[in-house]
Amino acid sequence: MERSFAKEIESLRLKSGEIFRGEGILAVTKALLQSGVSYVGGYQGAPVSHLIDVLVQSQDILDDLGIHLETCTNEASAAALLGASINYPARGAVTWKAIVGTNVASDALSNLASAGVIGGALIVVGEDYGEGASVIQERSHAYAMKSSMWLLDPRPDLPTIVRCVEQGFELSEASNTPVMLELRIRACHVTGEFVAKDNIAAKVSRNSPLPDPATFNYDRLAHPPATFMQERLKLEQRMPAARKFILERGLNEVMPGDLSEIGIIVQGGLYNALNRALMNLGLSDAFGNSRVPTLVLNVTYPLVPEQLSQFCAGKRAVLMVEEGSPDYIEQALHATLRKADINTRVHGKGMLPAAGEYTIEALTRGLIAFIRAEQPQIDLAAAEAAFGQALETRKAAQALIGPNLPMRPPTFCTGCPERPVFTAIKLVERDVGKLHVAADIGCHALATFAPFSLGNSILGYGMSLASAAGVGPLSSKRPLAIMGDGGFWHNGVLSGVASSIFNRGDGVLVVMQNGYTSATGVQYLPSSAGNRLDSSPGGSDIETTVKALGARWVRRIRSYSLPEMVKSLREAMTTAQKGLKVIIADGECQLARQRRLRGEEAAALKSGARVVRTRFGVDDAICTGDHSCIRLSGCPSLTIKPNPDPLRTDPVASVNSGCVGCGHCGEVAHAAVLCPSFYRTDIVHNPGWWDRLSDRIHRTLIGWLGGKAAPAPQPAAGE
Amino acid sequence: MAATCPICILIAAMGGEGGGVLTGWITGAAQREGYPVQATSIPGVAQRTGATTYYIEIWPEKTAQRPVMSLNPAPGQVDVMIASEFVEAGRAIANGYVTPDRTLLIASTHRVFAIAERSAMGDGRYDTGKLFRAARDFSRDRILFDMDDAAKESGSILNAVLLGALAGSGALPIPVDAFEASIRSDGKSVESNLAGFRFGLNHGGGRAELAPVPATPMQRFADEGVKRLTDYQDEAYARLYLQRLETIAAIGDEALTAEVARHLALRMSFEDVIRVAQLKIKPERFAAIELETRVKPGQPYAVADFVKPGIEEIASLLPPKLARAIIALSVRRGWIDRVHFGMQVRSNRLGGYLRFRLLAGLRRWRKHSFRYAEEQQRIEEWLDLIRRAAALDLHLAREITECARLIKGYGDTYRRGLGNYLAIRDRVILPALSGRIAPDAAADAVVQARTAALADPDGESLAKTLAAFTASLAALPQAAE
Repeated sequence: MERSFAKEIESLRLKSGEIFRGEGILAVTKALLQSGVSYVGGYQGAPVSHLIDVLVQSQDILDDLGIHLETCTNEASAAALLGASINYPARGAVTWKAIVGTNVASDALSNLASAGVIGGALIVVGEDYGEGASVIQERSHAYAMKSSMWLLDPRPDLPTIVRCVEQGFELSEASNTPVMLELRIRACHVTGEFVAKDNIAAKVSRNSPLPDPATFNYDRLAHPPATFMQERLKLEQRMPAARKFILERGLNEVMPGDLSEIGIIVQGGLYNALNRALMNLGLSDAFGNSRVPTLVLNVTYPLVPEQLSQFCAGKRAVLMVEEGSPDYIEQALHATLRKADINTRVHGKGMLPAAGEYTIEALTRGLIAFIRAEQPQIDLAAAEAAFGQALETRKAAQALIGPNLPMRPPTFCTGCPERPVFTAIKLVERDVGKLHVAADIGCHALATFAPFSLGNSILGYGMSLASAAGVGPLSSKRPLAIMGDGGFWHNGVLSGVASSIFNRGDGVLVVMQNGYTSATGVQYLPSSAGNRLDSSPGGSDIETTVKALGARWVRRIRSYSLPEMVKSLREAMTTAQKGLKVIIADGECQLARQRRLRGEEAAALKSGARVVRTRFGVDDAICTGDHSCIRLSGCPSLTIKPNPDPLRTDPVASVNSGCVGCGHCGEVAHAAVLCPSFYRTDIVHNPGWWDRLSDRIHRTLIGWLGGKAAPAPQPAAGE
Repeated sequence: MAATCPICILIAAMGGEGGGVLTGWITGAAQREGYPVQATSIPGVAQRTGATTYYIEIWPEKTAQRPVMSLNPAPGQVDVMIASEFVEAGRAIANGYVTPDRTLLIASTHRVFAIAERSAMGDGRYDTGKLFRAARDFSRDRILFDMDDAAKESGSILNAVLLGALAGSGALPIPVDAFEASIRSDGKSVESNLAGFRFGLNHGGGRAELAPVPATPMQRFADEGVKRLTDYQDEAYARLYLQRLETIAAIGDEALTAEVARHLALRMSFEDVIRVAQLKIKPERFAAIELETRVKPGQPYAVADFVKPGIEEIASLLPPKLARAIIALSVRRGWIDRVHFGMQVRSNRLGGYLRFRLLAGLRRWRKHSFRYAEEQQRIEEWLDLIRRAAALDLHLAREITECARLIKGYGDTYRRGLGNYLAIRDRVILPALSGRIAPDAAADAVVQARTAALADPDGESLAKTLAAFTASLAALPQAAE
């Protein structure tokens, strides 16, 4: 089902002195093995999915090293997994997508951070921020501050990322505190190289288990009165220990420069973009030889006041380069300097934008303002002219091209089983009127884009039904909540289903049962047909689960049967029966299905077995170019082409070669009574004698009747 | 001279196209040659077709110390912009990533239509003419051709053609064989990828020319109309077409006559059940299917047609009186929108063929059918409006002609289009013809209303536009006073 990571897995085996080449997130995975972890876990989500995906396929490496891998059902369970490091000298790492994953994990994280750890605990968070992000734009930084955990934000080059992972464990152990390592989207996917070390087997592992459980120690419980003591410990012991480690081990880096009157303090993750912006102003070169002294914070929490004071002392001004809001570091810098009575001016937000990704353009603009204000003697004329020229060119290009360049939002894959469900909702809306649709996180959230444009709110993963709980009682129609099986198991089963039944809610829930968490890269979940550990079915079942929770009205419907789906939805919306109504839309993720089928089909074709390939088509002569079919489907392979009819100008609908033959367009044409232009073609490959004979008979008879006059030429003998 | 800046390459692609593979080939080739290279991307969710980008920096010298390379592209700082589709190239230009001082633009000129273009009720395609100009004006140099076509021609994939074009451009200090080795080391579809690569390499100097829009003379439309209506009904019906067209030609405006020739032929060949059946069993149709599905000669295939006539479609074949009675009854009983006869007709199998054949044979009966009577009456009325408008203002006449575009499709679509047309007729065209508004203002109003009718299927835009127009009509006498 999943894509194969064979190549990536090889790089996890590299030995000391060999060169690792690959993506950032894979480098982190290798660094975990080099750090002697005892256990790894996490919940998938871009941009860190691959960490777990690759390990899932590396069972023999894990076995060799005795590492336990837990594919958690949500981030809360991943965070709680780190509880093993509270009592035992075992290193553990977990990963998830932030900010959302950290939100879900935060209860366990608070308890973990309060109790403290004796084995190094590392949390790798994929900071889903800026271009390409798919979640709300917030910062993980707040969690580090409120729970007194440490936050690493390494320079985005592989040796630094790897060093931060390794030193992150040491920092965690030196200060008895869990450490978060934050990687932005582009840093997770950045390619590069580093010199590998040998993988290390942990002292405590599946291969050398602990003989006894930890002795009872109340102080390790996040429970009063220990919590009061732990709060003091955080401030009086763990934080000072961490600061000492950061200073002594040089986790933060000071880059010298001859313009000693000014300085720049930057989050490690932004260093490369900053250097390019400095290059644009002639203040640095491609190898990072900056003229402006720079303090690179590979650890953004805790800050080390002495280090900040020392860097700023004697300078007229510094520029704080800190992405996102609130500007926690900048505020802390102000307070630090004030307390130390240092009068260095601090610039930051204002010269730099308060919100949004710090692109090279944003940084260049900020640096120009900074240099102008603090080092006006530096001649920036040429650099400013070049920068201005680039922006003017863009403006001219935009003026020529105009604002109407069509947007290209992502959409359901060709043949996706979720598409028909939204078609059904649109058709039901024609009868019962517009519905309140509580959307959720997952592929189905793509229905919020054209052509469906369905969804009134998104409150988080698995939260759709809960988010409709207050809408239903205030509305004359039942609200409709959409949830994926991913969201169902992540959270929705309790937050949504149990809560709705407990409160005697009267809403409708559609669960998309496609068998995987697909949007994150097609991972198994509790109700998958398979499991990474064994191939036996008999995992958790959604239908049984909701019935056991007390749902009375439950329908399981094949996603592609549009008429049945329409009927059930209409019934769910209009029946007099009170209570939660659950429709399970059953259809395997087409991405996973095609990955499997393509190989199987190619093998069957090669072996000479009979294979029937199905494709859909549109008759040019019958299509009148209204495109209702596209508005009810949006399938990528259902597109348009110039009208071959010399009398018509509107383009006709057309099915391109990407069609996987799911049959949805035919169902739509039927269910919505669109037009008679859709047809299905079943092409027989490696036909048997019966196929050939019956085909010949039909062709001949139709030929006699004046239909397709000449039968198609027969294949040469031997073919 | 020592390098001062990396070579910056930005790739614009769509999710699921394998932009990552192309990126891997380029970085692999650079690595092979010993150049420091870095790539990154924002792939996000796994789904298809969303616009996405990949960014590569290559240090053009072999050096022991690794330079600090950026993870983000910057406007005005891209050396090679690669786009797998033409609107994506346009997006890159609009974002400032293609500049005349620096950027080589390598882009496929083919279109993958975006959802807004595909779902428009008429023709929502983006006009790429401007993009060709922008590509010329804003790039230092450019390699533009239809690489989708090239990929199909060479039995390869688009990415391989793009890579070939990049290799052939000489923009990178990487020899051709290093790119080939990169493809080979992947070990997947090596031969076909190399074929595409070589195609791109050889056509690296290819330049796309803007195809001139062929002229559409009136005679061509009229000839096509006669041909179509003879096939549709008979020669007498085609003669009726020409007679009707002559009354418009007599006005003496060629553009008007050409447009009427076009629309009149379409309106007179309205798509009833008989016509659909006739089209479904045409030999040309099966030839087209065989071509499109790449069926080999003699390979068995079955075609299943999805048809679902309703009461109205079936009743419309009956004599007007009977049909009206049945439709009236069905409306009263609420059957009209609910009762349909859905079937899948296997039209290249004897049974299905015969079914369509019988229906198509009803052609001779058509002239007695309810639908025929209705359509002829509407056509005459439409032509009358055009003639009356032409006496006032040719512009208005042409716009009324164009309103025929609204009436198309089947079932719901047809009814909605007809309803929209009638609304425009009653609230704009008729007041204009009665002299209540100036003809040029009326022509503008017709254009606006027609555009609004095609803006959304729920008719909200049209309702708003018509309401605004009616309000302005009401305000007119006061303004004049």
